[in-house]
Amino acid sequence: MNKKLTVLFFMVLMVAGFTTMTFAQEETTITVWCWDPNFNIYAMEEAAAIYGDLNPDVNIDIKEVAWEDLQTQLSTSLSANQTDNLPDIILMQDTALAKNVNSFPNAFYDLSDSGIEFDNFANFKVELTKVDGKNYAVPFDNGAAINAMRVDVLEEAGYTIEDFTDISWEEFIEKGADVKEKTGKPLLSAIAGQSDLLMIMMQSTGNWFFDQNGEPNIADNEPLKEIIRVYQELLEKEILVQINDWNQYISTFQSGTVAGTMNGAWIIGSIVPVEEQAGDWRITNLPRLANIEGSSNYSNQGGSSWMVMANSEKPEVAADFLDKTFGGSKELYEIILPSSGAIATYLPAGDSEVYNMPHPFFGDQKIYTEIIDYAANVPEVDYGIYNYEARDTISTAITQIMSGQDIQSALDEAQSTLEFQMW
Amino acid sequence: MNKQKLFRASKYGFLILISFCSLFPLFWMFVAATNTSVDVLGGTLIPGFNLKENFNVLTSNTNFYRAMWNSFKYAAVTTLASLLVSSLAGYGFEIYHDRGKDMLMKILLLSLMVPFAVIMVPLYMFFGNLGLLNTTAGFALPTVSTAFLIFLFRQSSRNFPHEVIEASRLDGLTEIGIFFRMFIPIMRSTYAAAAVITFMNAWNNYLWPLIIMQKDSAKTMPLLISNLTAGYTTDYGVLMLAVGISILPTLVLFLALQKNFAEGVTGSAK
Amino acid sequence: MFNSTIEKLKAFKRGYSVNRKHKMIGWFFVIPGALLIFSFYFYPIIRAFLLSMQGGVGNNLRFAGAANYQRLFADTLFKKSLFNVFVYLILQVPIMLTLALILAGILNDKTLKFRSFFRTAIFVPCATSLVSYAIIFRSMFALDGFVNTVLMNLNLMAEPINWLGGPWTARLLIVIGLTWRWTGYNMIFYLAGLQNIDPAIYEAAKIDGASAFDRLTKITIPMLKPIILLTTIMSTNGTLQIFDETKNLTNGGPANSTLSVSQYIYRLSFEYVPRFGYAAAVAFVVFIIVAILSFFQMKVGDER
Repeated sequence: MNKKLTVLFFMVLMVAGFTTMTFAQEETTITVWCWDPNFNIYAMEEAAAIYGDLNPDVNIDIKEVAWEDLQTQLSTSLSANQTDNLPDIILMQDTALAKNVNSFPNAFYDLSDSGIEFDNFANFKVELTKVDGKNYAVPFDNGAAINAMRVDVLEEAGYTIEDFTDISWEEFIEKGADVKEKTGKPLLSAIAGQSDLLMIMMQSTGNWFFDQNGEPNIADNEPLKEIIRVYQELLEKEILVQINDWNQYISTFQSGTVAGTMNGAWIIGSIVPVEEQAGDWRITNLPRLANIEGSSNYSNQGGSSWMVMANSEKPEVAADFLDKTFGGSKELYEIILPSSGAIATYLPAGDSEVYNMPHPFFGDQKIYTEIIDYAANVPEVDYGIYNYEARDTISTAITQIMSGQDIQSALDEAQSTLEFQMW
Repeated sequence: MNKQKLFRASKYGFLILISFCSLFPLFWMFVAATNTSVDVLGGTLIPGFNLKENFNVLTSNTNFYRAMWNSFKYAAVTTLASLLVSSLAGYGFEIYHDRGKDMLMKILLLSLMVPFAVIMVPLYMFFGNLGLLNTTAGFALPTVSTAFLIFLFRQSSRNFPHEVIEASRLDGLTEIGIFFRMFIPIMRSTYAAAAVITFMNAWNNYLWPLIIMQKDSAKTMPLLISNLTAGYTTDYGVLMLAVGISILPTLVLFLALQKNFAEGVTGSAK
Repeated sequence: MFNSTIEKLKAFKRGYSVNRKHKMIGWFFVIPGALLIFSFYFYPIIRAFLLSMQGGVGNNLRFAGAANYQRLFADTLFKKSLFNVFVYLILQVPIMLTLALILAGILNDKTLKFRSFFRTAIFVPCATSLVSYAIIFRSMFALDGFVNTVLMNLNLMAEPINWLGGPWTARLLIVIGLTWRWTGYNMIFYLAGLQNIDPAIYEAAKIDGASAFDRLTKITIPMLKPIILLTTIMSTNGTLQIFDETKNLTNGGPANSTLSVSQYIYRLSFEYVPRFGYAAAVAFVVFIIVAILSFFQMKVGDER
């Protein structure tokens, strides 16, 4: 009896829910899924406020979802063909974008003809949001890689930040070994068994783990071998220390046991909370791999972009919203930068006054214009559809090499694992 | 006599050692909840002064009270419903057992053995078709009847004295009456243990609420905690505080019910 | 002497009959629960099985027959993850259940002081979210962490162990983590089960001169057998499907040496280019393995 009642009760509730939804149609509501309240969500809220002035009939409804959770929900809904619950706009990790567009064709809205000026964004970033020549996302946060260093430690060893600018890895190792000897501090830390630093180095050469046809290119990947050699040398000379997880990684430079770090520009958010170190930090570009043709001092790590879902009831409205805000509002980028440190890949923002503000934590260095400049120089690579598979196989190979396996045999193994996974 | 004393002392020694191992990480966690993120990563074991600040950040940056209430609501509904349905079935399987029911029990046990990740998509489709997305019923239904609880009650019923059943029948109680009037009170210990476990599992349930509850206002504590670690920078003090608080409801329930499943039941039918 | 207790025990378990009418009534007790399980577990399982016959990635699925099952034989990651979960199973389940049984036995002693405190302390780890406990655990087991410091101060070893760095130490860490978290959980069922044993049986045994060990093996374990079977099946099943621990503590590393099957399924579905059909096939193999193991456990442990 009771069960029937409950079912009835929920049916009534549902009907009520649907009717209120239809009455609310007067106003358009655009729902957005993204993560990180201090960063993406904050930026989205500000964008909503700006758009609210232009188009008061449109409501922006933001839901906080962690990236992994977002991917789980997205994959579940799309593979179950139950898209009613999906939002209009999602934030997408650049590393997963091609994978999702390829796996779920027709799930994402093509923004190529939406009027958004993609030329205004850093090239490498636009490249990452394109699949088969179509633009699927509005580039957002800047993952341009920085080399952040403690100049007080460098000074102790007789170096300045200029000595680490526009250099090669050979020079970095030479000077880094010297700093280590004189101050006892390594310049870098990395998580054992994770390939983030190698990925940063890889992109700085303009190469990736796949060839033009998308086939795995690991066993005979010369840049990769050179990178592994450099990585090993960094470890041997104790310029790089390995720790076991992300929290320990953050702790190494927060506690000052390590005098620098290389990562996407967003790592600044974890550097600045340590007040005692204010004024001691500077940023510069990365060392380049001198032995690899086309190698640069610039790279990228992480970053995400806004996508419009094809199942959206009003995809044009969602696209217009993105166009007027993240796609073309210098004002938005000026508002969000100071309080969130969310650095854009929208190049015109680099000219603005806010971006030219000196940052006291970094000894009044104009870090934001600097980072925008780096972004413009990052080599374009195509992460490909099987990027996560590649990342995991490379990580495994590196772990094996570090525990003594011969480089070529480990890479051969990685090559065949990746070939299997793509089969 | 001395030997016995030694035996007793070693018992306490063992218990203290085990309790220390159990509590130390939790002690660390509660200390961390009172510190700033930078200090937490530094590995401090000294309580700090940041508890209030962490709590303010937690309650202002997240929909904390809402998430606590949601988790509580879902967990409470699930627990009540599943104790009733599952114990009824477990009792039936044991007390009225025959070949058919033994067979059915074995078949039901198979349901434990498939990873949830695999049935998630079909289940989601099914619930979508039933129109149960974003509802408390949708949240609770898959866990109302679990082979685990049914099996637990079936196994426990094995120690339920059958003289009680015979005597009750002679007294004119109906079969369902025996279940409600005799079985439930006598099996308090099993019910208490099952309630704690079910509540805890529902409270910590992660994947299913993640996909079935799509509205921000329906967020549960595990999802809130997941969101706390999702940004470029994580505030570890706030994270530890959130996890510390999310243990409390289960802990309170445990403390309230533990007498029932651990102290023996006086006045039972023995 | 002692045999008289055993006799009493047997007599207590025997001696009632179920007639036809009651058997019929019994079905009404079990049907609601069974129906729910059929609709929310077996129906999706059948759908998942059909899915496991589908090849391809993402939404581009097509019928592939047994191709996914054939693929398993060539999949080194699958084999590795299967090996890993069996390592956990063999090492962890016996240790944990024995420990839980011993603890329940000690804590069931009515004369013990601070029982409530000990019980709560041992139970509380399983209520903790793994997200934070993983951070603490990794930090405790870091190279310069708490555990190495203690071990070195006790002169148990000369060099710190890189717990998360080596394949076997990392697996051991998973086993430690599992035991830490789930011993108290299992202990509860034993404690609850012990309350249903008539204390008079113990009294009689004591009078008969049975030792503590005798009481454990001749009364406690046989009386708890149904519950021990339950926890064994649950733990076997839980360990073979372990996900949280490997994801949060080691993320499958180093070099996949702690990767579990469930984590592999998760990667196949949500991290890698999604192969839902193949992921379902992987799951089905686990399903069959667990089902066979449980079948044997039932055979050994479920006779009345």
